[in-house]
Amino acid sequence: MRLWLLFLACGLVTYATRASFIAAGDRIRLPEAVERALRYVGPAAFAAIAIPLVLGGDGLSEFSADVPRIIASLAAGLVILRWRSIPYSLVVGMCSLWLLDWIGL
Amino acid sequence: MQDLSFDRRAALDGIRTIAPLAVPGLPFGMVLGFLIRDEGIDRLAGWSSSWMMLAGASQLAALNLITEGASALVIIMSVLLINSRHAMYSAALRPKFAEYPAWFRFAAPYLLIDQLFAVASSASELEGSSLRYRMWHYLGAGALIWTIWQVSVGLGIFLGDVVREEWSLEFAVPLLFIGLLGLSLSNRPSIVAAIVATIVAVAGREMPQGSGLLLAIVLGVAAGGLAETATKRVSE
Repeated sequence: MRLWLLFLACGLVTYATRASFIAAGDRIRLPEAVERALRYVGPAAFAAIAIPLVLGGDGLSEFSADVPRIIASLAAGLVILRWRSIPYSLVVGMCSLWLLDWIGL
Repeated sequence: MQDLSFDRRAALDGIRTIAPLAVPGLPFGMVLGFLIRDEGIDRLAGWSSSWMMLAGASQLAALNLITEGASALVIIMSVLLINSRHAMYSAALRPKFAEYPAWFRFAAPYLLIDQLFAVASSASELEGSSLRYRMWHYLGAGALIWTIWQVSVGLGIFLGDVVREEWSLEFAVPLLFIGLLGLSLSNRPSIVAAIVATIVAVAGREMPQGSGLLLAIVLGVAAGGLAETATKRVSE
């Protein structure tokens, strides 16, 4: 029972962060400069999540950078920039990793 | 009052758009489910975290903290910190969502995970479409990602360790974010935002419970905004 309540509280906190501005709608207006800058949340957030994940295993300890993962990530990055397709980049990234692991790099 | 009734085509388009982004959630959800099973956390309660929170990274942190015996307050505060980036997603989407009816503005945030934010905030695909289309596109995409998440966590809990470590399927998660990053790079300020966020995130990765990530996003956004202003000055 305690666990259910704990997850409920975590869920409410999560919902509150996501609903904060959207639910308020037009009752909140941010300064125009802030609103314009917020269009860059996507690139900032995805870079800040992706790169540390690639560089280090669990993102908590030191870099466990292993070469196959970095090369596979670069390959996936090139594919996404060139063809703008997430399915392609996933396939190329995973296959590169399997290939590099298989040849024992 | 405009017609906002169910739009089947929009919902299916939404499902099609999100499907490739939802697939990497499968191994992640299964690993999460396996953790619940392996640590002897009550299975139904553990699974309930999936629909109550619908947030992979913070669910993982909460489960790890539970197994370490952390207090409820510590766990809730960690979840708040890790999910604080969603408040920035919410702020970024506010202008786009302001014209929606209130019920949708309260319902939509429940589904707002990273992939759905990427779809909803990208300008290209939904530009020029009707309010009704965009609404059902969002809900269709959200329904698929919700279902995949519940099923994958459930599979991990009830089937156990079916994802073999040597398949490295967890690597699909960083690959997904590389993909989302690539698609979000549309102009120079967005590249500046990504570079600054990367530097701060890497430098601040030892900071407690994701606060480095939040700082990285805030500074990245600020850098993007400044870069945009600077580019405009130069071109004027």
